[in-house]
Amino acid sequence: MNAFDSLMGGFASALQPMTLMYGFIGCFVGTLVGVLPGIGPALTIALLLPLTYHVPATGMFVMFAGIYYGAAYGGSTTSILLNTPGESASVVTALEGNKMARRGRAGPALATAAIGSFVAGTIGTIALTFFAPWVVEAALAFGPAEYFSLMVLSLVAVSAVLGNSVLRGLISLSVGLLFGLIGIDLQTGQPRFTFGQAELLDGIEVTVAAVGLFAIGEALYLAWHGKESKAGEVMKVSGSLWLSKNDWARSWKAWLRGAMYGFPIGAMPAGGAELPTLLSYYTEKKLSKNPEEFGKGAIEGVAGPEAANNAAAAGVLMPLLTLGIPTSATAAIMLSAFEGYGIQTGPTLFLQQGGLVWTLIASLYIGNVILLVLNLPLVGLWVKLLKIPPPWLYAGIIIISTAGVYGAGNSVFNVGLLYFFGLIGFLMRRFDFPAAPLIVGLILSPMAEQSMRQALTISMGDWSTFFVRPLSGSLMAVSVLLLVLPPLWRRLRKA
Amino acid sequence: MTPLRVAYCVLALGLLAAWQVTVIPESPIQMPVGPVLTPGVVAGLLLLLGLLYGISAWRGRQTDAIDGDDGQPLAGANRRMLTLLLGGVAFIALVVPLGFVIPATLCGMGVAKAFDAPFGVRSAVMCGAIALVFWTLFAQVLGVGLGPAVAWAF
Repeated sequence: MNAFDSLMGGFASALQPMTLMYGFIGCFVGTLVGVLPGIGPALTIALLLPLTYHVPATGMFVMFAGIYYGAAYGGSTTSILLNTPGESASVVTALEGNKMARRGRAGPALATAAIGSFVAGTIGTIALTFFAPWVVEAALAFGPAEYFSLMVLSLVAVSAVLGNSVLRGLISLSVGLLFGLIGIDLQTGQPRFTFGQAELLDGIEVTVAAVGLFAIGEALYLAWHGKESKAGEVMKVSGSLWLSKNDWARSWKAWLRGAMYGFPIGAMPAGGAELPTLLSYYTEKKLSKNPEEFGKGAIEGVAGPEAANNAAAAGVLMPLLTLGIPTSATAAIMLSAFEGYGIQTGPTLFLQQGGLVWTLIASLYIGNVILLVLNLPLVGLWVKLLKIPPPWLYAGIIIISTAGVYGAGNSVFNVGLLYFFGLIGFLMRRFDFPAAPLIVGLILSPMAEQSMRQALTISMGDWSTFFVRPLSGSLMAVSVLLLVLPPLWRRLRKA
Repeated sequence: MTPLRVAYCVLALGLLAAWQVTVIPESPIQMPVGPVLTPGVVAGLLLLLGLLYGISAWRGRQTDAIDGDDGQPLAGANRRMLTLLLGGVAFIALVVPLGFVIPATLCGMGVAKAFDAPFGVRSAVMCGAIALVFWTLFAQVLGVGLGPAVAWAF
């Protein structure tokens, strides 16, 4: 069956009323968490992981995809109206979007963000539909050695390329790897790093770590800083919520260029959404016929980055669905949801769970339409949400976080761990350590160790297997280059 | 807290990990790589990186948010953090004997106090309502096991 036929099968399943409902809930919740500061898609999906015991896998993943895409849409509202990005990829949108709102053009800013997100999200999903089967075909030739090398590349890329410092990224990664190794070693049955605690024998739950780092850590940081006790100034939704002919003319090319940056970079091991949004912003600034408007509210500066952000969201799903490699914290938590259902990720996912994967991809198309419909007409509701006073907003976030972790296993020990991770999250936020490497390391370390041991068993203990096999060796070489080149480049530039 | 103290924490974690590696029991199963190698490498890596971070911090090359755009925290920073954490401790201590809602309310009140909301009736009512709504949503609608809303066993 080719990709188009499989996609049609996916649509047949995704348009079932129950699946559609999960998709709608996901899009709504996703937009909500994208709008609200302090709560993002990674945290929300982590909190919903306990539900994996109660909801069918298809419904759950359609909902997660809706949350993921919805957060990418919703982040723009906060950036434009409050000048406080709801998620990191919307930082660039705030630069021009809030200036437009201050000039009485909040409506066109929100409209170009929403329509651009729809256009780029759809382009990204089309690319995912037709490129993913190619990647799967290539990845089916992977053995344990290639997988180990690919995971090394992913870990190095997430730590060394993202964030402001390779050293801090690697420390964050090492801590994640260490926490990922806690528990019973699956191959020999020996306990590791458990300090004799029975609660640690099963390892650290991803939910506990992610919710602690993102929710408790962020709340601790904001409380420590003490400047969040009042809601910020929310701009009025001024101007028409539709685009004028001139706005359309200035936006459509920026949407397409943003999508072209977003998808390929998002699909790379260290891509993420921050880099393509920045690239899109500077490209639009360079190509604009009105460069003097940049910094004062140029519509291209909102259209391009928002499109890049949403196309990147589709790109991030590519390595997750085809290789089982998460390249962001949200993708890492979605990977652990697959594990929760006992679904083996990697290239065989398309063969063994084809129905689920194609329903998920079809739901992304439907989700894009739902989000376009949800975003603009409900903008009044999102604005009201932005006016919730911080004490009640953060009380709600912490109560739901605590409830989510406690509900996963009725474990008071895990709630204690949640606050321990919260303290780590606070320190990481204060001293600028990126959180994504810790989460990705936590999830990938047992998988990487298992692949390494399998590869060494096959090669009779010969370590050169990772370097002499062409694909594995190439991946290792790229990892080394990623680790060495950025600091070297910085030194050369300084010299 | 300073970057140098963060480096001490990383080194302490590395040492703790290294000690734990030494107490991993030897595997009776023969295989090229046993259960000790990977934890040992990770512990070593953490010690090395902690050392590099410490040297860098000692030279003043590591960042702290107070030196950045956010600036110095307002007075009472430690008190606000402690209040938030005490809310969590209250939940941990009371959820088993009292059920979900009362400890979650106290937890929320701790958080609200950390964001400068007075610790009074209004805060109790708001946080109680939030806790009750979440308990109803999670436990009653979604079937997540949060235990009883209020335990009357005491």
